[in-house]
Amino acid sequence: MFERDKDDLRTLGIAIEVGSFDPLFSDESGYRIRSENYQLDLGKITSSELALLSLAAEAWQGAALEHAAQSAVIKLNSLGIPADTLEIPGVPLKLSNSATDLNTITDVIATSDFLSFNYIATDLTVRSRTIIPFALSNNNGFWYLTGVDQEILEIRTFRLDRIHGELVKKHNKEVFEIPTDFDIFGSMDTTQHAIATIDVRKGKGFSLRALATSIIDLGEWDQLSIPIVNRETLTSQILWHGLDVYVQEPSDLRDYLVSQLQALILNHE
Amino acid sequence: MSKEMSAPLSRTARLLDLVPYINTHQGIALKDLAKHFDVTPAQMIADLTTLWMCGLPGYTPLELMDLEFDSGYVTIRNAETLAKPRAITFQECVALVLGLDLVMGQFPAERQDLMTSARSLRERIARQLGVPVQLQATSSVSNEVVLAINKALNQNSGLLIQYHALYKDDVSSRTIKPIYLYELNGQRYLRAYCFSAMDFREFRADRIMQAVHKEVPHGISSHQASEEKIGFGISIKAATRDIAERFGIVDLTENKDFSLTSYSRQWIERSVLASGSGVVITSPSYIRDSVIKSAQQLLDRYEHS
Repeated sequence: MFERDKDDLRTLGIAIEVGSFDPLFSDESGYRIRSENYQLDLGKITSSELALLSLAAEAWQGAALEHAAQSAVIKLNSLGIPADTLEIPGVPLKLSNSATDLNTITDVIATSDFLSFNYIATDLTVRSRTIIPFALSNNNGFWYLTGVDQEILEIRTFRLDRIHGELVKKHNKEVFEIPTDFDIFGSMDTTQHAIATIDVRKGKGFSLRALATSIIDLGEWDQLSIPIVNRETLTSQILWHGLDVYVQEPSDLRDYLVSQLQALILNHE
Repeated sequence: MSKEMSAPLSRTARLLDLVPYINTHQGIALKDLAKHFDVTPAQMIADLTTLWMCGLPGYTPLELMDLEFDSGYVTIRNAETLAKPRAITFQECVALVLGLDLVMGQFPAERQDLMTSARSLRERIARQLGVPVQLQATSSVSNEVVLAINKALNQNSGLLIQYHALYKDDVSSRTIKPIYLYELNGQRYLRAYCFSAMDFREFRADRIMQAVHKEVPHGISSHQASEEKIGFGISIKAATRDIAERFGIVDLTENKDFSLTSYSRQWIERSVLASGSGVVITSPSYIRDSVIKSAQQLLDRYEHS
């Protein structure tokens, strides 16, 4: 059996076992496909579950994994279960398409290989990063990829539209264990950040309100407690809201804000 | 199916999927089958001809699959070995799990039954991945709402929205005139003139539960909600990703000038302010003056307290 054929089978998603299975020629290495690995086994699928999966596949219409979603539905339809029609009000949501190749990304996640790409940093410099990716998410149309950065050996998340150029896959020979202490569903841990006390006029500053861990009603204004995850980003958000927002503390945030305003005025002279 | 899969390989994949499909759809019209697998009828006939020669070792007519498709309708017999559909691939699992996530977000509250079966399904499919990959898709902004907002922005018209105020936790009906959509920290916000509050307001797009067209009076303090595109010029003092994304400039370089346009004077002023020391607005002068004035007012406030 040629190696190429085995690779082809793996590409088709068919799990094979390599070894010697011939009792007469034990030194002859071969491979076999176990039927339990070959056959679809999702337990008992009901008609309404089939309808749900069709809807799930529809979410990919026009987006990167459309083909994968469609071929999954063909397999599921082959189970011979009549599908229900589900009446779900509202226009079905679609997964946004990404300029970045999700096919390659899912392949790399499947094999725990290395993925290298150029990433645009906050200062617009482009740096090459190599990660072993293990989580993929889409939030309100933005795609995020999480993996272990091989340079610093820490978990980092990247927004796919900030990847510049090609994705390069490299084979990883080591065994990779997916970190279990990372939770894509959990909100960002904000306990370790300093807290800013910021006054926001009622009915204004929604993007700041969304970041608040607590809100005190002051009448015409509300007082928000906001974790300072990134001083520059927060300052920019505060400035965006102009006179509707006022920073009470900490003083280093106020100082930074004031320095930005002074520089802005000076730049305009 | 993976994009990199070669043509012969993707054909093999199709052949493997054809057998179980025909097995449960006996007598299906050839043209329907071709359409279902997204190939031409001629390709489908070629595929079926290939399958017709397949079977288990022994290779006598007894072991071959028995396919009938001359009549234009396809039936299959003697295909037990390949009759079970293939296991879904890693990529197919990923596609289904993320798709299910989105679908789950769309269920009306009274359909808890759907939620329960979708959750169990998601779990079963995720288990097929074989590794504890984390996947998640959420979209709290409905397509319908975004479409309605964009339409109103393009036509300079109004909207009647149902808005869920997070901190009051109630839903109110408001008539608004959208001014611009902007994005911060992966969330979309809508700046609009609110006729209910008689003032400008910001709405988080994912809290707008419904939006429909509504006629609104024209010319609400027209200098704030401009009717025409405003051309403006900026000069870059610090090239940052924030600034590049805020102004939508691909080739941002320090000390370079850019000519841009926007429908909203407010948006221009706020974007320049938010860029702090990084951006200088060069034209038009009335917006430039207004930015300097706002910055000075802010500065005074901090320096006098």
